[in-house]
Order: sequence, then structure tokens, then C-alpha cells
Amino acid sequence: MSLVPAELKYTKDHEWIQSTGSNRYKVGITDYAQSALGDIVYIQLPKVGDSHSQGKVCGEVESTKSVSEIYAPLSGVVVSVNQQLDSAPETLNQDPYGSGWIYEVEISGDSELSTLLDSAGYTSLIS
Amino acid sequence: MSQYSPLHEFHKSAGAKLADFGGWEMPIEYPAANGGGVLNEHQAVRQAVGIFDVSHLGKVTVQGEGALSFLNSVLTNDLGRLKDGQAQYNLICDPGTGGVIDDLIAYRFSEREIFLIPNAANTAEVVKRLNAAKPAGIEITDRHKDFSVLALQGPKSDEVLKNLGIASDLDYMSFKKAKLEGFEITLCRTGYTGELGYEILTKWDETSPVWKKLLTLVTELGGRVAGLGARDTLRTEMGYPLHGHELSMEITPVEASAGWAVAWGKEFWGKSLLQQQKSDKNHRTLQALMITDRGIPRAGMRVLDEAGEVIGEVTSGTFSPTLKTGIALALMNKKMDVESEVVVDVRGRSSRAVIKRVPLVESHVK
Repeated sequence: MSLVPAELKYTKDHEWIQSTGSNRYKVGITDYAQSALGDIVYIQLPKVGDSHSQGKVCGEVESTKSVSEIYAPLSGVVVSVNQQLDSAPETLNQDPYGSGWIYEVEISGDSELSTLLDSAGYTSLIS
Repeated sequence: MSQYSPLHEFHKSAGAKLADFGGWEMPIEYPAANGGGVLNEHQAVRQAVGIFDVSHLGKVTVQGEGALSFLNSVLTNDLGRLKDGQAQYNLICDPGTGGVIDDLIAYRFSEREIFLIPNAANTAEVVKRLNAAKPAGIEITDRHKDFSVLALQGPKSDEVLKNLGIASDLDYMSFKKAKLEGFEITLCRTGYTGELGYEILTKWDETSPVWKKLLTLVTELGGRVAGLGARDTLRTEMGYPLHGHELSMEITPVEASAGWAVAWGKEFWGKSLLQQQKSDKNHRTLQALMITDRGIPRAGMRVLDEAGEVIGEVTSGTFSPTLKTGIALALMNKKMDVESEVVVDVRGRSSRAVIKRVPLVESHVK
């Protein structure tokens, strides 16, 4: 069974989103996604300062077998990235909702927030 | 319609991720929660011992008076150099194009009986081609589901045999019959990982008890069950070709740097074409490369020179768990000097790489 914390929001592309206050949101991939990918060995992080529109590719996660794109769950500017993933990509497997976060985005409006799934919606998507 | 190994229920209950391999649903990897995953399984084989189910591989017997000389007129390598009880890596090429129908291991039981292990996806084609060409008195039998193949691989393989009371007295690429818990097996010192190891043929219906015994002993020695994902990273580190990637109907043995498996002094299918290609010297050449900055090369990616000109194409690429960087096998338009610097186009980003000799990681097969 995959973990789906109740307090987070989700996308159908298996990202999670967590509010960190003042229009900022942390983004990562779900436990289901890390498990499906297998051992993650390389992460192409977004660049701080770059803007991405919702649904556009902003990074990549690679396992030994395959590559999977990270789609920006919300439009906005990248304000920080988890540099630790460069040297320890396995963190994403070990702690996908904690120290395996990928980047933080600052959004300009909240109109896209309603497009995100809650934990129940995401749970039904993966079950 | 997928075909299944006799260990299919084991793989499912172990929680393995399953995927199609040449029409067979086989385990890619076992759950990380139980210490599995490609990286752990890979390391287990390099450092201790791993056990793989590779029962999807084909099994074909060629029997009858003249079986050896018939096969020797078809296959690239020279079965005449073997004694009974020895096995050999071989290619079977298309007589019209020199392309590779399959690569396979041939077990020489006697001049009248040769056992072939082709790839799962190519077994039917190999059987068809051999049947169409065989002289009278020779029988080709597809025994895909008469035997399974279990691969015991890693430095502690001999200890597993010892604990089974089986003498580990085989030279590389030699085989013998043995008893494992009362079951008859054929044990061949071969493999696809670059480590000391054995491939074990067991009767299809007796696979489960043999597997269970092997798995128990492997686990006791700190080893583990491993899937085909790890088998692929292991073989890529060794530079071993995989049919459909480094060898195919469009890639000849000359191009695939597989000349070591071709005995030019005898006849075989496609010989004159391949000889011509070899002497022309302007053919593509399979080489290994290692990424020196970031990124993981994948099959189909372009290899470029410093000026941005396309000079080759990746046929297999992965992350090397041993070297901790991206590695690849690539068909280069012209053979490059070892240590030449090249660039791989990784989805629009340039990853720097150097041409390397194979194996990329030290081999321990001998």
C-alpha cells in the first residue's frame, strides 16, 4: 500500500504539493510514484528563478530502467530546489514526502489550486 | 498472450514487478521493502551471490548423425573446437544479409547432440530456420517448456554448490550433470553478469523445489533473488550485447564487435557478406562509453562529436551501479580511439562522455 498523507494535495501525474505559506508550495513525487519508478539514480532539478506553467515539464526523475518527467503542478517561479538530491537521489525513494522534496514554487494567483486532487481523490486514482 | 515461467506464482507472491520479455512475463525487480530493487540486486551479485529465473530463454535440441557438422555450417563460432561437455557463445546470421537472427549458447553433449539456448523472442525463428535447412536424419526439437534456466551468479556461487554437495570443478564454459536434492540438473559455468556463476537447467516440472533450495542457500550466504533489471545493468557494465539492441537483423557481428565469436576459417551463414564488410573497414563499430558529467544515456540517443556532428547512436544505456555514472554501448559510425571525448544528446541536453574499453567493470568469469 502506498502512503497518501491526508494533509497534502496531489496531481494525476503523481506529484504532491504542500503549502509552506505566503503563496509558496513544496513539490515532490508520491510514494506510489517512487515505488513504481524503482531505484531513483538521477534527478534533473528545475532551476531557481525559472518560471513554469502548470502542466509543463520542469524536471526529470530517472531510475535504472526509465525516465519520468516532472510536470509543474502549479504555475509560478521556482524559489528553491533540493540540492541534496543531486548527490543522494535515493532520498526520493526513502522519504518521498519529507527530505525527498524536489522544489518550491511561488505562485502569483490561487486559481489553479482548485485543480489539484485531495488525498481521497488521489487514493482512488491509484487504486 | 503472455507465457509464464514455472516460478510465476513465486514471483507474484514475492511482489516482483513483472514485465514482458520476448512474450514472457518475467520479474524485473523485487520489492525495495524486502531489500530488493535493481541497485541492491545488482550489488548482491557483484559482492555475494544472486539467483535469477531466466526460464524464458529458449531451449532447443539438435540431434542425430551429423548434428554437430550441420550446426557448424550454420553458426559463426566453431563447435569443432569444443570437447563434449563444453559450451560456446554463438551467433546465427541471415545468409542473405549477415544480420543477426539471434545469439545463443550451444552445449556440446556429443557430436550427435547439441543443446541450444537462444533468446526467448527468437527461439521460434531459430527453430524454423534450422528446420528449413537441416539435412535428413537430424531432428530439431523446441523444448522451451521442458526445462527451465536458473542463473546462480556471484563470487559466492561456489559456496552455494559446496553447500549442496556439488563439486565446483567446472572450467569456464563447461557443463556437467549433477543432482540437486535428488533432482537431475545440468550445471554450466556461464552467465551474463561478469561474475563467477552457473546457469542451471532443470526439468520444467521440478523447477519449484530446485529454486526454493537454491534461494534458501543463496539467502543464507547474504545473497538474494534478483530480477532481469539487475541482469541488464550487470551485462551492460560488462559490455555484453543484448539481441534487439547491440545485435539485430540490421546489425552484423562485424559491427557489433563480436568477431571473437566468429570462426573465419570455416563456413557459416552470411560468411562472405561479413568477410566483405570486415575487409571494407568502413563499417559501424560497437563501443562502450562512460558519462563524465551528468545524465543517463538511453537506447536511441545520438552520440555527437565536439562540433555537434552525429557520429553514433546509443544501443543500450543505463546508470552503472558500480561506477555510479551513466554508461552506454553505442554503434559508432567510425571506430573511435579509447578515451576520445564525445557528447551524448540526452533529450536536448549535452552529456559529456569518453569512449571506453569493455568490460567497463572488471570481469570475474574466469
